[in-house]
Amino acid sequence: MAELTLAARRPAGPALLWGVLATTAAALFAARLALPPAVSADAATADGLRHILLWHSTLPRAATALLAGAALGLAGALLQRVLRNPIADPSTLGIASGAQLALTLALVLAPAALGVAREAVAFAGGLAAAAIVLCLAWSRGLAPVTVAIAGMTLALMASALGAAIALAHGEYVLSLFVWGAGSLHQQSWAPARSLALNLAAGGLAAALLSRPLLLLGLDDASARSLGVGLLTSRLAVIAVAVWLAASVTAEVGIIGFIGLAAPALASASGVTSPRRLLLVAPPLGALLLWLTDGLVQMTASRGSDAIPTGAAAGLIGGPLLLWLLPRLALGERAPPQLAPHPIRRLTRPRHALAGLAAAGLAIAAITLVLGRAPDGWSLAHGDLLAALLPFRGPRMLAAAAAGALLGAAGALMQRLTGNPLAGPEVLGVNAGAGVGLCATLMLLAAPGPEAMMAGTTLGALAAIAVILAIAARTGFGPERLLLAGIAVGAFCLALLTAVLASGDRNAFTLLAWMAGSTDRITLSQALVTAGAALVLIAPLPLLGRWLDLLPLGTAASHGLGLPVAGSRFVLALAAALMAALASLMVGPLSLVGLVGPHLARLLGFARGGPQVVAAALIGAVLLLGVDWLGRTIAFPYQIPTGLLASLVGGPYLLWLLRRGGSTSA
Amino acid sequence: MTAAFDVTRRALLAAPLSGLALAAARAGTPRIAAIDWAALETLLAIGVAPVAAAELILYRAVVVEPALPPGVADLGLRGSPNYEALWAARPDLILSSDFYVWAEPKLRLIAPVERLSVYVRGRAPYGAAEEMTRTIGRLAERPAAAEALIAGTRDELERLRGRLAGLAERRLIPVNFGDPRHFRVFGTDSMFGEVLARLGLDNAWGAGTSYSASAPIGLEALAGIGDAWIVVVPPIPPDTRRALAQSVFWAALPNVRAGRVLVLEPINPFGALPAALRFGRLVAAGLTAPGGGRGLG
Repeated sequence: MAELTLAARRPAGPALLWGVLATTAAALFAARLALPPAVSADAATADGLRHILLWHSTLPRAATALLAGAALGLAGALLQRVLRNPIADPSTLGIASGAQLALTLALVLAPAALGVAREAVAFAGGLAAAAIVLCLAWSRGLAPVTVAIAGMTLALMASALGAAIALAHGEYVLSLFVWGAGSLHQQSWAPARSLALNLAAGGLAAALLSRPLLLLGLDDASARSLGVGLLTSRLAVIAVAVWLAASVTAEVGIIGFIGLAAPALASASGVTSPRRLLLVAPPLGALLLWLTDGLVQMTASRGSDAIPTGAAAGLIGGPLLLWLLPRLALGERAPPQLAPHPIRRLTRPRHALAGLAAAGLAIAAITLVLGRAPDGWSLAHGDLLAALLPFRGPRMLAAAAAGALLGAAGALMQRLTGNPLAGPEVLGVNAGAGVGLCATLMLLAAPGPEAMMAGTTLGALAAIAVILAIAARTGFGPERLLLAGIAVGAFCLALLTAVLASGDRNAFTLLAWMAGSTDRITLSQALVTAGAALVLIAPLPLLGRWLDLLPLGTAASHGLGLPVAGSRFVLALAAALMAALASLMVGPLSLVGLVGPHLARLLGFARGGPQVVAAALIGAVLLLGVDWLGRTIAFPYQIPTGLLASLVGGPYLLWLLRRGGSTSA
Repeated sequence: MTAAFDVTRRALLAAPLSGLALAAARAGTPRIAAIDWAALETLLAIGVAPVAAAELILYRAVVVEPALPPGVADLGLRGSPNYEALWAARPDLILSSDFYVWAEPKLRLIAPVERLSVYVRGRAPYGAAEEMTRTIGRLAERPAAAEALIAGTRDELERLRGRLAGLAERRLIPVNFGDPRHFRVFGTDSMFGEVLARLGLDNAWGAGTSYSASAPIGLEALAGIGDAWIVVVPPIPPDTRRALAQSVFWAALPNVRAGRVLVLEPINPFGALPAALRFGRLVAAGLTAPGGGRGLG
């Protein structure tokens, strides 16, 4: 806050800053012009080649950087205005990931479509992503943090699905990584030309929509009284922003967080009027991406950027979100709402829990004996079961333990934050675990399972420490905790993307983890996780009072004698540890942490203690079932458990939340 | 179906030397399974049919030769081999590599595991592939066939070298396209790089890349080596072919203008001696073809 008011008082400061940044970017570009890359040929041919390099590579690359940056800046400014959300942008809304996933699916399913309608494919994916995110966050009045949570979850899901596709289509793995990381290498004007057309069209559309756009910043009632067709204008503006972002993804891949940075930095530099913000954000976005690309090109050796520009830009996303945090608190409109009341309340939750446990055991027994072999289905018993147990046992135990951990962690998170979309995945712990795994793979020549487990654990613990340290400043307030998690997650995902872009053979191991394979877990790993799950989950029912009171909000909880900061810290730490353990087993995303608690509430588990236990049981049963599906439906090819769980759970969750939203309204 | 399966399985558990197992034992060949394709190629090339191997659908499309005989059980993706299917194939020995160390605790529950790696940091892959061939020959009880594969591959590459001796343009850059704007390159320390050296050809990249360039390279880097043949290793993403055909930059490259672009048949970049020889043959055939190389157009 202090820096904001300072900046507003001294308008010369920001102008100077922007001048310095622009000069730096221009100097980097001039250096590239002055020092063309070496070409080995006779003098005439070399001259020709230098000419070609200048006109078909260096110049279009700069143009593409400027145009893509401007398009993202405009898209971000439009989204932030229309959603009244200072952290909305194509990355946080999952639009870029959706567009990317659509392109990936098209590559393996309908390659012909890519040749003719690349941008349309990306637009369809981006639009679908935006629709899903807004649909999820609708019942919460599109509150900024909720929108970001939904977008983050969707981005994680898209990356898990992309990883599974890359695993199954190893031959295209380089293509998939190059797109995912947003590289700006250019050899023609085609992407720049296409971006220029789309930017012009988007700018024109934004200008035509400027009246409703300015009014949309007001609250709904005032806007409606001024005669704005609210829904239509909102949707039109969102469509324009999605088109801009999708065209960038189609041409150069995912470029992270420029759309978040440009408007944020514009308003930090003292631009307050909405109209000026829309005018200033595109050039600032252009400048930021041009500068990033200039720095990235400095690192290049022999025609290869050390890290792709898009991933480099993505690295600023995490810190930027944290910096925006204080301003978000100001924009908070509604106090955290209570989760929708259950449809019915159980009178005897203990009996119901016993029933759930019995059902879980029955499902465990069935999935243990029923399986597929090369010559068909079989019910294993006796010697056959004994022979198969070393393979089925650990993965089943791991799936059940991970499911229980995620279910319980999800219930904790939702109680802690009062937000029905807060799954353990958005804590960012899992992405931290991925970075740890990645470091292990790069540092050790041929790491065994123990080394990989140790690296993953260290990464997760580091992420937990960072998140809790950030959240501690406001006594572990829910919004700050969630946003810290999202920021850390975004940063770690950008790191992973940059590593994957190298297309190294180790990438396959990382991909298998991202997709959530359970089959490599050893018996000792599974036993340790199951033991840890028991130790972490068993005491939670004792914290029932905390869980019942915390969703009432800080003031009420405090008034009722709850040690608010202390209880939040304990619960956040427990949830983070549980999420980290689970991610070692089933990868970074499964949605079980969301589906489990919601199902528990739907079944009538209203009070905190029983709900946590029920969510854990439901989570365990869900992952057991999904793990069984993953090893049988495409035998002998296996579908990663984490991915399959999120594919099964995603649509169900959408339906559940829409339903929950309408009954509570 | 279930009952029948159960009976055979139990019978086999009780008496390992009945049925198929007996046939295999009589034939004198151990039952071998391969996770890594380099080992699979080598096994097939010395005339041993493994009982099981990973990702056979993609193997047929990417590795192509040696062709897979019928009866090899598919274990699913290399990145997640199906242990139950592997167990059902009852191997006596499993061939793994440095890429699959994480799977070894599970694999060892099924049969002894032998880790044979061609691609190890700081080691030349051709020599490593020869050594692996020798080891596999010993393990599969076909030492003579293994020596014959080693010698045969050397001789054949030597013969191809002779055929290429009169060639005027001797510089090549083996690349693999990621999209119309990026490629990766196989440097001097890659298997393809070593084969080029054995053929008496120069790798225009002129440096090591630890098997294949570790980051996507912008197409503009090709301008630095305008005189070299561009040897394209598949797969080529579907839109890349079209985009390159329309690209002014691509068309202006001296190599492209002179028709020095050679698109190979599919080939395994992380293979063993069979892949090395396949690369050598395809390159030699392309360079000596009457109409020059098979271009992208």
